[in-house]
Amino acid sequence: MSAIFESVHYIYPSKVHALRGVSLEFRPGELVALMGENGSGKTTLLKHINGLLKPVKGRVIVEGIDTRTASVAQLSQVAGLVFQNAEEMFFESNVFDEVAFALRNFGYSEEVVRKRVEWALKFFELDTYSSQSPFLLSGGEKKRLAMAIILAWSPRIICLDEPTIGQDSLQKEKMKHMIKMLNTQGRTVLLATHDVEFVAELRPRVILLSKGEVVADGKCEEILTDETLVKKASILMPQLVYAFKRLEDLGFDSRVLDVDEGVRQVLKVLRHESV
Amino acid sequence: MTIIQVRDLSFTYAGSSKPALKNVNISVERGEFVLVVGPSGGGKSTLLRCLNGLIPQFYEGEYSGKVFVDGLEPDKTPTYMMSQVIGMVFQNPQNQLFALSVEADIAFPLENLGLARDEIIQRVEEAMELLNISHLRDRSPFELSGGQQQRVAIASVLAMKPKILAMDEPTSFLDPLTAAQLLSIIDDVRKRLQLTVLLVEHRVELAAAKADRIMVVSDGCVVFDGSPRDFFEFYDSHLYGVSAPKVTSLTKRLKTHLEKWNRVCLSAEEFEAEVRSLVSHL
Amino acid sequence: MSLFEGLRFRPGTTFIHRLDPRVKLATSTMVLITAVIHIDIVIILFLLMLESLVILSAKVQNLWIKTIRGALPLVAIVFAITFFSQYSREPVISTGLGYALTYSLRLLVFLSSFSLFFLTTTPDEIALTLQQLRVPYEYTFAFVSAIRFTPVMAEELQIVLDAQRARGLEVDKGPFTKRIRNLIPVLVPLLVNVIRRSYELAEAMEVKCFGASRKRTSLKQLNMSRKDIFFLVVVLILFSVGVSVKLLGLEPVKTLPLLGQFFPA
Repeated sequence: MSAIFESVHYIYPSKVHALRGVSLEFRPGELVALMGENGSGKTTLLKHINGLLKPVKGRVIVEGIDTRTASVAQLSQVAGLVFQNAEEMFFESNVFDEVAFALRNFGYSEEVVRKRVEWALKFFELDTYSSQSPFLLSGGEKKRLAMAIILAWSPRIICLDEPTIGQDSLQKEKMKHMIKMLNTQGRTVLLATHDVEFVAELRPRVILLSKGEVVADGKCEEILTDETLVKKASILMPQLVYAFKRLEDLGFDSRVLDVDEGVRQVLKVLRHESV
Repeated sequence: MTIIQVRDLSFTYAGSSKPALKNVNISVERGEFVLVVGPSGGGKSTLLRCLNGLIPQFYEGEYSGKVFVDGLEPDKTPTYMMSQVIGMVFQNPQNQLFALSVEADIAFPLENLGLARDEIIQRVEEAMELLNISHLRDRSPFELSGGQQQRVAIASVLAMKPKILAMDEPTSFLDPLTAAQLLSIIDDVRKRLQLTVLLVEHRVELAAAKADRIMVVSDGCVVFDGSPRDFFEFYDSHLYGVSAPKVTSLTKRLKTHLEKWNRVCLSAEEFEAEVRSLVSHL
Repeated sequence: MSLFEGLRFRPGTTFIHRLDPRVKLATSTMVLITAVIHIDIVIILFLLMLESLVILSAKVQNLWIKTIRGALPLVAIVFAITFFSQYSREPVISTGLGYALTYSLRLLVFLSSFSLFFLTTTPDEIALTLQQLRVPYEYTFAFVSAIRFTPVMAEELQIVLDAQRARGLEVDKGPFTKRIRNLIPVLVPLLVNVIRRSYELAEAMEVKCFGASRKRTSLKQLNMSRKDIFFLVVVLILFSVGVSVKLLGLEPVKTLPLLGQFFPA
């Protein structure tokens, strides 16, 4: 197992009970989407994976390590977390040092640091900016740099908190591509996101959170098409599912997550009707 | 009646070598709901700021062309006068609220304008009622949810009774359900007050069916200006950084496969209506 | 943080809370002035008792204790310094203690004088007070903004700290110099954030007509009631008594020989 949550409870200093008895298992190489409204516990859950938060009750085991016995620095080496506004954590005068920062913190030799930084920058097509200031990059480039920073030390688990916020369709396409690629490399990828359409395109395992509890855990196709679950977690249904649900009386099946499937169904029903 | 007229507008931010807007020409009629879309960094926000005078007064740079908003020229008119004609709501709810209570925040622009107390009290009440936030009057902005904060921001702007409402990605920081609710209330308010609305938004599926017009701004130019339906039907919106609503992509394909499929749909409701009408004609 | 916990957002309901903030401000000022001009232990104790009465009637004693607790180290230092400096001049323990007690209690009275104001007045009311006292709006606005954005900045600090810790930054390990260096990855993004935020705020302020009119009006207004005036009169009477006692040299320490032995005059 990549990560295990055993009846985890977390209460913030402000007395907000953010996680209530969450028990989950994440297998190596899985692609998982954590969904739920703001305040449901998604970010809190992700922060437990790299130890930023330690459970008040229960325990979290990441790559065999109990998070209560390890520091954030130790856990971050196996579980990278890319925050929502990751582009706002830059501070170095050049891109190279920005990526090298984490590697140097983890104690790699300067030789290894150089190799890894060069690899990460090349991978994200940022090698030409190596000596430039990170503050001068464009929005899309900054997001790529944020990913390069985390990937440089090759963590086995990658957590992404709302990776598609405020992005246009071209940027989202790139992000989808990157996520799929991370997954193909054998990494466990956890996405906390609202973007239902983005999730529908990726077809990951979906976990629905509501008020700190897991209300659903399973296949994307089954969960996002279940009206009761969607309502309970206060998320929006994918548009096609919603549209087809309204036409169930005409023989439509609302378990439709992509346009191809939708076209097939409409043609079938209309041609069938006309015969 | 034309309320916004832009002729040959070009603008380059100070310190930048690339123009943000190149020879833009548009006109907007009173009461229209215009959806402004396009790739990030393409000029949408810049265009909006040229309409209320923030450009060139707050953001310096090379400015040429002519802009008329309800007869006023934003480059020559003080911004406080422009704000009474065109109100603007920004992306980040947190950075638009200044006071320590909702009431005080909505009153803020009115106090700045030096309006009489009775007038202020009345306008604040009306604005809160419009946006359904009267019950939040004493709360401090920090305690509010993102959706509530944006409502306060909108109420604060509407308290100045502008004829036009310009919004720059107001739902960016909100979850989809809250975003849908916010856009729904904006549509309601728009109809009640007969406002002209310019909405810059990435979440096209929430607004495409409600908008009268879509303007696609890419690389500083207006590459499309017309009906949303036409745009999605005849263009690959993805190339312009615009995600087409799934129902729209679906019906676009259906149009090519099925002769009797009439139109490209912009919402689930339209799609349903179209399917039912076809089925009943069989 | 405990020194600032006094700034609450919702108004309380006790008599003291509902007093006009201007009256409270005047009271705090008069208490402070009285404490400054006197070193008489009886007067100081009297002032302390008055303050306690007000705090108890406003039911804010718990918050007050928290505020005072933060200042206790300072009070202890004053106590020690006064004791040793007095003892070195006159090696009598009881006098040393007498002096030390006087000066440290006096400090306590200073610190508490404005607690009366801050613990019983909301930031909103403070802003209104400043406005009605004809303080230029820019300063009132700066004050309100500071209060408005402090929790926001605190949140931001936590976010940056989390992000850098996730990159292996360890803020509480290593030698002193390393720890100072480790602040850079936290301070720089925070500073950048503050600058970006101020741009956005300035834009919004512009759009909300900040500075449009020299004659700025306001939604709310402070009005003095009979209770406010009555309270103010009582305080003024006590204040004039306190000042006259000093001017006429009638302080208890001077007039009661027993006290004069142990306490400063």
